Amino acid sequence: MSALLEVRGLTKRFGGLTAVHDLDFEVREGEILGVIGPNGAGKSTTFNLIAGTYAATAGDVRFAGEPILGLAPHRIAARGVMRTFQHNRPFAGMPVIDNVLVGAHTRFGATLWSVVLGRSRAEEARRRERAAELVQFVGLGELARADVTTLSFGQGRLLEIARALAGEPRLILFDEPAAGLTAAECARLAEIIRGIAARSIAVLLIEHDMHFLLPLAHRVVVLNFGAKIADGLPAEVRTHPAVMDAYLGSHAAH
Amino acid sequence: MKSENPLALRATPLIRGAGAFIVLAGAAFFMGDYHNDVYRKLLLWVTLALGYNFLFGVCGQVAFSHFAFYGIGAYSIVIFLFQLHLPFPLAAICGIALCIAFALAVAIPSTRLEGFYLALVTLALGQLFIVVLNEGGTVTGGTGGIANYRLPEIYGLRLRGPWYTAVIALLVVATYAVLVRLDRSWFGRACRAVRDNPEAAAAMGVDVARTKVIAFTLTSVLAGIGGMVYAFVDNTVNPPIFGIENAFLLLFMVIVGGAGRHAGAVIGAVLLFLLPFWLSPLVGHHHALVFGVLVVAAILLEPRGLIGIYDRVADRYKGSPSR
Repeated sequence: MSALLEVRGLTKRFGGLTAVHDLDFEVREGEILGVIGPNGAGKSTTFNLIAGTYAATAGDVRFAGEPILGLAPHRIAARGVMRTFQHNRPFAGMPVIDNVLVGAHTRFGATLWSVVLGRSRAEEARRRERAAELVQFVGLGELARADVTTLSFGQGRLLEIARALAGEPRLILFDEPAAGLTAAECARLAEIIRGIAARSIAVLLIEHDMHFLLPLAHRVVVLNFGAKIADGLPAEVRTHPAVMDAYLGSHAAH
Repeated sequence: MKSENPLALRATPLIRGAGAFIVLAGAAFFMGDYHNDVYRKLLLWVTLALGYNFLFGVCGQVAFSHFAFYGIGAYSIVIFLFQLHLPFPLAAICGIALCIAFALAVAIPSTRLEGFYLALVTLALGQLFIVVLNEGGTVTGGTGGIANYRLPEIYGLRLRGPWYTAVIALLVVATYAVLVRLDRSWFGRACRAVRDNPEAAAAMGVDVARTKVIAFTLTSVLAGIGGMVYAFVDNTVNPPIFGIENAFLLLFMVIVGGAGRHAGAVIGAVLLFLLPFWLSPLVGHHHALVFGVLVVAAILLEPRGLIGIYDRVADRYKGSPSR
């Protein structure tokens, strides 16, 4: 398996604070890579650097061999890297299905001119059908026409996923997807993420909750104080002394 | 979404549009000169409200330049035709080009900053435009504006009376069709996404700045085209019509009708345009006060406007949420 996303020497300083320091890792085609670490480890910063929300101080991020660091978020999305938000960010004025269709924005071929002339209806219908399938896939089938403001928090998270999938990504970035979900919702979420990987879409999962992440991820990168302290298979990472130290405090490691 | 027979799907909007045009244009032939004049202005207000609703309601841009662009359209067609003696099609194209140039000049620097800034810039443009008109000497005719011209013959035809009203009816229907099509496309969704959550829109691949600039330019050009049509309604153009007061009235129309909804814009425009005719005999020139109360009431009681009230009533009967 070749590397789809390569992160090399990624560094981010906020004034005197180094949030991410010389980070290296890669996400391979079709795999679920988990990035874990305690609060303040630099997970969210790493996420925002890859997604284009923050500008990096140094380093290189390549997607499918092309450099993407420094590109605006919408250009990164257009390359095939979609994301979800930890705090759901729906488009409140639209029904569920239209929210998902916004995710497909970069996949529309019709020009404004052909829209005005009414020649884009076939494409619109086709995309709408595809969006309906994705709504079904995440389990919101009955709510396709519903107002997004009526969704529960957990349903909102599922909408985030359907919306990201609509962009036909090769890689999805999940920002703490299990945060705020019930145990049942977490189980359902894990099943959906496995389903996404089964569609040979690579997954980068930033997650605080080890119990959610370890059974799900194919490989895990552990961060602490902005640096990588361990990586490997979930089973290896679980018993790694530095990880136990970071998560449970220095007493537990000895 | 079940698609019916494709032929029916294609014919329906066209037939509906043609039907609306026939009704709107046909009505003019049953009216006298005075009512034709009122009716033409009503249709122009509806056109402006539809465009402004797309900008303010759908795209979430608070701009006060809509009437300035209406004025740029009106003045430019008159100046190009009667002072530069350009042929009609060329004058129209130059007028549109001028609107595009002004719209881009305003939109490109302002979208880099937040919404409040656009409001200020467009407010300034609106005021500046009036100053330029007043101080424009022989080009704009100063405070008195330009008068004593009439619609030239186009292909040997001179449209007048209810026939010119039919042109305005065509403008309303075409504006409505264009805006509804845009709204129901990837572009309309991108505009709404930018309005609702710009950061999430960007993450979905929407170029936020570009979307804003296109929406602003497009609706400004529509206002400019409306202005070109207006120039031959009164056969005079003068500064007060294109002032800030009317820009605010347009905002009120969209809010009272229901921002973000085409039908709401139509209802708001019709209601607030006709209201002074009903109110003037009762309260004289204090109808502005009634407008103020209406807008405050709409914001407090039903932020979705009159169309929101209609939705709730319709939901109660249908029992299903509608858009």
